[in-house]
Amino acid sequence: MAHFELLAKCHTTRARVSRLTLARKFSWEITFHVHGPTILPTFMPVATQAAIKGLTPQQVESLGVTLILNNTYHLNLRPGVKVLAEAGGAHKFQGWNKNMLTDSGGFQLVSLSKFTKITEEGALFESPFTGEPTMLTPEESISIQHAIGGDIIMQLDDVVPSLTPDHARVEEAMERSVRWLDRCIAFHNNSGKQTTQNLFAIVQGGLDLELRHRCVMQMVERKNKVAGFAIGGLSGGEEKDVFWRIVKQCAEKLPEDRPRYCMGIGFAEDLLVCVALGIDMADCVFPTRTARFGVALTPRGPLNLRLAKYAKDLAPIDDNCSCPTCTEKTSRAFLNHTITRETAAAHAVTIHNITFQAQVMGGARDAILKGTFPDYLRSFFANYFGEFGYPEWCVNALRSVGVDLLEGSDIKVNKGSGAKWE
Amino acid sequence: MSLSFTLAPCSRLGPRTGTLTLRSVSINTPGLMVTTSRGVVPHLSRDQHKRTAALRLVHVPFETFLENTPPTPTLQPGLHPLHTFLGFDPNVHLVAMTLRDPADGKEMPSNGHDYISASTARGVRKVTPNQWREYVRACAPDVVVALPDVPWSLPPFSQKRTTKSIERTAAWLAHLLAPSPPLNILVHMAGGTSEAARRSFSESLTETLHGKEAEAVSPHRCIDDGAAGYIFDLLPLRREMDAEAREQDPVHRANETQALLAVSLEHLSPTKLRVVNSVASPHEILRLIRSVGVDVFDAKWAQDAAHVGVALDFVFPIRDKELRRDLGHNLYRLQYANDFAAFSAAACFCGACAPVAPPSAISHSALDAHVSALALPPAYTRAYVHHLLHTHEMSAHALLVLHNLAVLDAFFAGVRDVLLRGEDLGAHADAFSAQYDENLTIVHEARAMWKEVDIARGKGRMARERAADHSELP
Repeated sequence: MAHFELLAKCHTTRARVSRLTLARKFSWEITFHVHGPTILPTFMPVATQAAIKGLTPQQVESLGVTLILNNTYHLNLRPGVKVLAEAGGAHKFQGWNKNMLTDSGGFQLVSLSKFTKITEEGALFESPFTGEPTMLTPEESISIQHAIGGDIIMQLDDVVPSLTPDHARVEEAMERSVRWLDRCIAFHNNSGKQTTQNLFAIVQGGLDLELRHRCVMQMVERKNKVAGFAIGGLSGGEEKDVFWRIVKQCAEKLPEDRPRYCMGIGFAEDLLVCVALGIDMADCVFPTRTARFGVALTPRGPLNLRLAKYAKDLAPIDDNCSCPTCTEKTSRAFLNHTITRETAAAHAVTIHNITFQAQVMGGARDAILKGTFPDYLRSFFANYFGEFGYPEWCVNALRSVGVDLLEGSDIKVNKGSGAKWE
Repeated sequence: MSLSFTLAPCSRLGPRTGTLTLRSVSINTPGLMVTTSRGVVPHLSRDQHKRTAALRLVHVPFETFLENTPPTPTLQPGLHPLHTFLGFDPNVHLVAMTLRDPADGKEMPSNGHDYISASTARGVRKVTPNQWREYVRACAPDVVVALPDVPWSLPPFSQKRTTKSIERTAAWLAHLLAPSPPLNILVHMAGGTSEAARRSFSESLTETLHGKEAEAVSPHRCIDDGAAGYIFDLLPLRREMDAEAREQDPVHRANETQALLAVSLEHLSPTKLRVVNSVASPHEILRLIRSVGVDVFDAKWAQDAAHVGVALDFVFPIRDKELRRDLGHNLYRLQYANDFAAFSAAACFCGACAPVAPPSAISHSALDAHVSALALPPAYTRAYVHHLLHTHEMSAHALLVLHNLAVLDAFFAGVRDVLLRGEDLGAHADAFSAQYDENLTIVHEARAMWKEVDIARGKGRMARERAADHSELP
């Protein structure tokens, strides 16, 4: 099973630094294979269809990324488990020899399929290829994830959109997610794959603190049978002030000796707040998707490179950035000329944005190690939001763990999500 | 700096090997020229440039930069503004700048007596010879193509139009010669499909000038003295031949094309660089090397093949006689779904077939330690790219561009070897033609499949799906 070492804790917030060592695959033919450790907290770029948009795995590795996410729902449709099994798993199929996490496929069933029906047995959906009714059970999800061969695999959970008004449905989904966890554990432990693949549980319970509490408690009882815990069912358009309270409560109740993964978050402010609340891992398509639309992320906020004001701007996206796009001096003007018209421009901004995410999290790790994480938070937020003003929910969330962004600052505070955009 | 081109001894129109040198860059010919779109090698991010050995000579159509006034590359400071702006390394890459994209064959408003109509995303822009000279001065490319007056109205063209075309092309070239320090200029060989017009254009280049005209091009005696080489655009020739309803038979077409090129070169200096744009196949390349002594060919067709999902797979000279085969693989085909072989049968050292694990990675915190792989990463497989193509993933094309450029580069190395060894290029070329199908049916087939996937999964998919959903409602 995964080896999880706690290396440092922030003296003020609940942030921590840890080392997660995943698969060790030994074959007795001289070679052995280690996907290597990943230092947490970290952000996982998303390789939905077995590729980080436009990049080669070598490029991704050179950016200092050691853990990526593949989507089970998509890989099950294409190339399918048969091809993946023949290839020897997704690592070999896509040429990625660092760590990989696969989701369960449940989220996409809800978000992408129009005809999904959830029963106790599993999720019934219409195959996008044949139109035939197809059942995804917890056992089937784990079996697909075994074929993909990710170092971390996720339980199938019963996902309801976070804004669902039907409380009974949210409660049912939460209880069912616990029952499905048991089925995933049983199937996984009988498979012989538990030495190389690590199962994570997913806490559900919508936006209800009571349901979340009951879910966490039941799942923590199964702690010895899982390698980590995720917080699911968020990032669905809920109010940010509700979002952070759920994350905070779950993170507090989850065991200290297991990694905690908040699913589907990727804005810099979300990442840092979650880290401060005790989260170790996060994923989101945001940095790679927004790159394709011409938005470059920087410590001073996002730049929309399609705007005319960048047409003659010969500066790189960020002078201090260590990504290949910036060190090779690719100018904003050049990107303005090519973005959304040439795929190579999307690659350039994708490279930059993935590096930016890694920098934000790497900076957090260093600050936690040095005992300066509260200062890191204050200076990051001041740089990033500046005159634009802080999102109120960030101020509230960080206050709850002892960091006051407004201390000695005259930066204004904005209601709502407060996300900065250009 | 002045471009040097040295040739091994050869006949006027026979096959030849040479070396193109500028600064520390040295390029062996016959060889390839990589084409760009909006200033980028399609699908290749800048960090891949140094991993692409085939990338040495780059062709940059400038017209899209006219969308801003002044064009942004002209604002770039430094010794090599165009290199810097586009991310090419002056110590590795030679950049040739031309106004129009030679692969763009669409109908255009006519050129004027002192301007060319150029195409941009924001409409047509007129460019005068004066402006072109300014842009070239500001961008400092290694090589510049003088403005040619190629008619882009519907052919066939009247004799009057053809005469105008050769007069303007010569005058605009002379205009570019005047300033100092001298530029490395490629001259478009004007005259279209008329042998007489082509001959007349070449003669006008070598005529000794007098009086005012001579002053304008001083210190050169004639216009040709100021040219570094000649460039032939095949697309307008094909367009004219189509319109004239001449013989459609490919062999006849090929002979006719070669004859037209040969006529242009008859009276010109035999030691200058010869460049061809819009070549369609390695077969055509071999013919033009054999019978016209062309030195440099654009790689557009191979780059386009990568764009539609074709991995090239051919070698020159052929190894053993095998069954007749295609020049590559349409990786959209179902047969590749579980084909875990590398793209091509022959060994290839491109970034896709011989990927190199990064020796280091960006460190984001004190604890980050890059663990290098113990073994070399394996080649990317046909099955993987098949998957990427069907899922509309851009990485497919990045890998295929790396590969196709390497295959074409190796092809040219093979041609040079044959010539340097003094072997009979013709015999090898015939064997090559017998082995590989010139028709490139796989590329046409792949293009159709690429379109299908693009419509199903590409840009605008959501809107199309919504429209379809809507029309299904009663």
